[in-house]
Amino acid sequence: MLESRSFPRSLSFALGALLAVLASPTAVRAQDTTHAVRIGLTYQAGTKPGVVVLAVTGAWGDSIQAIIARDLDYGDRVNVIGLPGTPAAGSLQSLGPSVSYPLWKSLGAAAVVQATVTSGGVHVAVHDVTGAKIVQVADFPLPPTGGSAEWRLAVHGVADEVEQWITGTHGVAQTRLLFVRGGRVYVVDSDGWGERPVSDAGLALSPAWSPDGHTTAYSILGSRGWSIVTKDVTGGAARTLPSTTTGLNTTPAFSPNGSSLAYSHGDEAGTDLMLVPLGGGAPSRITVGHGSDNTSPEFSPDGRRIAFTSGRAGHPEVYIMDVDGSNVELLTPFNFGDQNYRSNPDWAPDAQRIAFQSQIGGMFQIMVISLRDRSVKQLTSEGVNEDPAWAPDARHLVFTSSRTGVKQLFILDSESGRARQLTHAGGARLAAWSHSLGHVR
Amino acid sequence: MIRGVRCLLPLVLLATGACFATREDVQALHADVQSLRADNARSDSARRAALDRVVTSMNIVRDSLGLLSARVFKMQGDVRGDLYNVGQQLLQIQQLTGQSQQRVQELRAALEARQSDMQSSNAQLGAPAPGAAGTTAVPPTSTGATTPSSASPSTRPGATTTPAPAGGATPGPNQLFQISLEQLRRGSPGAARTGLQTLLQQYPTSDLVPDAEFYLGEAYHQEGNAAGADSAYAAVVSNYPTSPRAPTALYKRALGMEEKGNVVGARGLLNDLVTRYPRSDEAALAKERLRTLK
Repeated sequence: MLESRSFPRSLSFALGALLAVLASPTAVRAQDTTHAVRIGLTYQAGTKPGVVVLAVTGAWGDSIQAIIARDLDYGDRVNVIGLPGTPAAGSLQSLGPSVSYPLWKSLGAAAVVQATVTSGGVHVAVHDVTGAKIVQVADFPLPPTGGSAEWRLAVHGVADEVEQWITGTHGVAQTRLLFVRGGRVYVVDSDGWGERPVSDAGLALSPAWSPDGHTTAYSILGSRGWSIVTKDVTGGAARTLPSTTTGLNTTPAFSPNGSSLAYSHGDEAGTDLMLVPLGGGAPSRITVGHGSDNTSPEFSPDGRRIAFTSGRAGHPEVYIMDVDGSNVELLTPFNFGDQNYRSNPDWAPDAQRIAFQSQIGGMFQIMVISLRDRSVKQLTSEGVNEDPAWAPDARHLVFTSSRTGVKQLFILDSESGRARQLTHAGGARLAAWSHSLGHVR
Repeated sequence: MIRGVRCLLPLVLLATGACFATREDVQALHADVQSLRADNARSDSARRAALDRVVTSMNIVRDSLGLLSARVFKMQGDVRGDLYNVGQQLLQIQQLTGQSQQRVQELRAALEARQSDMQSSNAQLGAPAPGAAGTTAVPPTSTGATTPSSASPSTRPGATTTPAPAGGATPGPNQLFQISLEQLRRGSPGAARTGLQTLLQQYPTSDLVPDAEFYLGEAYHQEGNAAGADSAYAAVVSNYPTSPRAPTALYKRALGMEEKGNVVGARGLLNDLVTRYPRSDEAALAKERLRTLK
């Protein structure tokens, strides 16, 4: 805690920090964008509350502070003041892990996150600056190996919980993403850390997460064609789905309860979607394409419907249907004779929207269509942007973009339009975002 | 002896005298041979020329036939391509028509909502609604104008009835349908069912009735009421056999039977579907199902 005698000195620090904050790009961004977020504390609605993450003393304290602050920033629901790596960070860091409500209020902070390393993990308190009181306290266990992948995942979980306390919405930091680069499937943390291969060298495509976050399914080119394999994300041998040993089998998708898998199966008669129970049983065809190609199935969150790409109208468009294959309905609007096409749907976890890629002037862009009124919103315009996949918060999207000159994964906040680069080695594409991995170690 | 020689002498002279042709004879013979050869050569040349002409003509004919054949093939390809394009365009039109119908449906619902609002406002002000008599969706009061489905919701297992709103504006069929569909897609099958039953009771002659009956089945299915779902789907098939929903409803019935373990019943319904609606997508799915159904 700051003593009253030192307050004027701290205030001078604070003013310096405030100036630095105002001069930083983060502050400019915060001024330009306002968002309707639900907040749990006494903040003004419709604004991003300012949050300070205090320095954390003890083993791995700096990493804990940096991860929490960065996760809150990436969540796009709060304005992190003194984000590590910004000019204001140094000034704030010198103030130490103490709380002075007037000081933080003068910096525009509505909440202060104070973490303390304990023997078994980390103790976290969230202060309501306006109310000048602690509003949330909890102890979080952390794995003993500081800095390991499991440890980082646990700290991401702390950040998500803090975001829940402050905004009322759980964060998506404690998630991972699968993607393909150079014919191999990789997994990476939501903040871009810890990239490692999941599949063996070969030619793999279209990875998908199982709902429990333990398993991935992807298609792989073998001696007899493209087959679907499942594999534990943490390692182990790949298991080929028995019904996919012949023909062209691609774009797998797990049902929300994990009991079945949809995929596209191609042969001389065209490409149709198949649904196979993972507990055993024969696959059943669920599309009637009449020789056209039907691919990229994506289940609705309740598992009752499937969105997919079909060329039945002459060029690919996005359709939705009941999971039994009936009730097929064209989803994406197009003009008669339009040669541009739309494909690769991904159903938002809130069940209200579907993201897809749409060809505009020969280049793909990410679009979102509302299932309520079928209104379409374009989310990207820079470079070629394709293969969208929703985060569990139904707000962020990962997609492949060529805006840097090579294909990379970017994460986009669909509300503010803020994008950040996730991968930095070229050729990354076909990303899939996991559910919350709080239970996965 | 001498007498014998004398007899043979003329014969010998006659035989040897013919072998001694004169020079003129030989020249004449040579000329004849040359002439004969020239005639033969001319004749061969003429025949060769005739044959060449025939071959040339045949080549021309063959080329013409080849060209004609290529043209025919091209025309066939063009016609096939054109037919394919026409088919694709028809499919596109079909898809777009479906989308337009959906948009029209939404617009109708919005119109009805606006009229309801105006009615409410006017009722509060004590004035009649503009155009209320002509355009406002008013539930029919005649008890005679009913279809079999109008009475079915109350007799269906688990069905509940919703009375018409007492006083104030009444939502029209499009509005009821749209709201119910939204509730169904939002995961509120109970609310959807209530709305659809209200529609079926209050607007039994609406062209939305087959769709409403179908989605009533969907709502029952989401609620886990298999008997109610089966009843609603059966009503679609029996009362509106020409509706585009009919094959889907029949397919749903079959799947419901299969879920209950009634393989024989499911097989019967799938066969019925293939027979009655052979060109429907559901018929293709049914054929697949029949192959794997155990």
